[in-house]
Amino acid sequence: MNSRPIPVPPQGTALHWQLNTPYNYKHLLVLFAIVVLLLVTGQRTEMDRMLVMTTEAVGNLLGIADDSQVVRGLSRVGEAMWPPMISESDEISRLPDLDRDKLPLFSRIEVQQRVEQRMNLETLQLEATTDTIEVLIKPVGYLWTVFVKMIETLEIALWGTILSVFLSIPLAYFAARNYSPNRYIYTAARGIISLLRSAPELIVALFLVLAYGFGPIAGVLALGLHAAGFLGKFYAEDIENADKKPQEALEAIGAGKIKTLWYGVLPQVIPQYIAYTTYILDRNLRMATVIGLVGAGGIGQELKGRFDMFQYGHVMTILIAIFLFVFILDQVQARIRARLI
Amino acid sequence: MIQFDAIHKVWPDGTQALCNVSLEIPRGQFCVVLGPSGAGKSTLLRAVNGLMRPSGGRVLIDDIEFNLGSERQLRQRVAMIHQHFNLTNRMSVAANVLAGVLPSVSTVRALSGWFKPEQRHKACQLLDRVGLTPTHLKRRAGDLSGGQQQRVGIARAFMMDPEVVLADEPVASLDPKISRDILGLIRDAAREQGATVLCSLHQIDLAREFGDRIVGMRNGRVVFDGSPAEFTDDCVRSLYEGAHWDDSADDAEQNEPVQRSVA
Repeated sequence: MNSRPIPVPPQGTALHWQLNTPYNYKHLLVLFAIVVLLLVTGQRTEMDRMLVMTTEAVGNLLGIADDSQVVRGLSRVGEAMWPPMISESDEISRLPDLDRDKLPLFSRIEVQQRVEQRMNLETLQLEATTDTIEVLIKPVGYLWTVFVKMIETLEIALWGTILSVFLSIPLAYFAARNYSPNRYIYTAARGIISLLRSAPELIVALFLVLAYGFGPIAGVLALGLHAAGFLGKFYAEDIENADKKPQEALEAIGAGKIKTLWYGVLPQVIPQYIAYTTYILDRNLRMATVIGLVGAGGIGQELKGRFDMFQYGHVMTILIAIFLFVFILDQVQARIRARLI
Repeated sequence: MIQFDAIHKVWPDGTQALCNVSLEIPRGQFCVVLGPSGAGKSTLLRAVNGLMRPSGGRVLIDDIEFNLGSERQLRQRVAMIHQHFNLTNRMSVAANVLAGVLPSVSTVRALSGWFKPEQRHKACQLLDRVGLTPTHLKRRAGDLSGGQQQRVGIARAFMMDPEVVLADEPVASLDPKISRDILGLIRDAAREQGATVLCSLHQIDLAREFGDRIVGMRNGRVVFDGSPAEFTDDCVRSLYEGAHWDDSADDAEQNEPVQRSVA
């Protein structure tokens, strides 16, 4: 069989249509606008000063510049934070229930001399007096405290995530354009989602602490509400974007909305759902350490207390603990994800 | 029996997809719809189960008119086999077939996946009937070959003992040998059930081989209606040749608005 080439008009033949160059003056204008925007906002956020100070700091570390505010500030904090505090000591006189024959694990009693400035009421002068006190030393006592607080933080994050998943499932159903019963419910669900997502956890926690008091309840609710907005939005968008073909097949036999969602949509979107949910768990763990700052329980509450008392050694221990927890969680998550997807 | 009574369809963009189509397909007939792309074959099929809502005219299945009130009831009697198989790819073959019986299953049973023993038994029987083996049960539908996926699609379609089977270009993406097997399966299974088949095709030889009756469509109108013996090569030529349809008509068919909503 003879094959004929597809006829192509000779070079230079005028066509009634053409492929334009990829860029034109409009792109230049947009580029110019972006540069102006960057310059203006950069100046307003003191990016220039940031550059100067950072350069100074690097110069100081390399021995070129004499003085750097940044290095001075950081080293002062750094020195105060090292070494991390892992032990805990209590005066025996403040522990009336202590049974001397049955000390807690790993702990011992030490006799210490303490010099204290006291006002002599007769002379009205400050005098240095030396007291001998007994102290209960727990060598890893503070590490244990941090560990317990960290577990509490993990629990807050976990329950915040569980709450958000349960809240976001109905939200996502009503906020998915193709499953929402009508336009008004759709708009309402989208509104609730935006509202939840727009309120930062820290602010929500601040108010919830007023309502529920100090402790984990406020933390769980704050995390759960915020994450429900996030998950609701992403679940809903996945439902909307899911492959329509299986849904059509189930619609064609009259399966009904819920069953169609369950059999035609959910199996397709479940990997993304797991990804979002684990991201939320990860984010909640990090946020759970922060919301304690306003009194919503967990390690953050401990961190805030120590920070306010200038006990930077304790702060260091907490920071290391947080880092380790996030790191371990990452590893666990990677493993679970690999198995599920 | 399916009756089309002056079915009329105009897309929102003004395209005339169906133009006063009146047809009567008696019970148990294997009716093949032929025609160039964009002729309105899919649209005609989708009028039977309401995936496409006609702008005018009526569709009757066993003298019950298809409308919002009878939709749910009629859809359970009409099965559909799709060009792109329309399986849930990440779900197991077993679950995909069982999904075919969803309309008659309680929500609790559906959501927990706890189907009745006779339904599970039927799914196995049908999978065996379409030539799949127990090793396929737990595999993801998306991992199967095209021919196997369509076999799963057929098994799913027959889960509800349909009275009408709509097959929308069921073999468009399959090779000739498998196409023949698949069409044979649809015909035989439908014959056992006494079901009416309305099948759109692009292969003229297959249409002649499997059809009890051939309906030729062009530009939304029925231009041929007769037995395979009457469908001569001249008829084929006049049906397809010189068809100056717009390519975008095919796109319009794919992106029709009904697909966007799960009503």
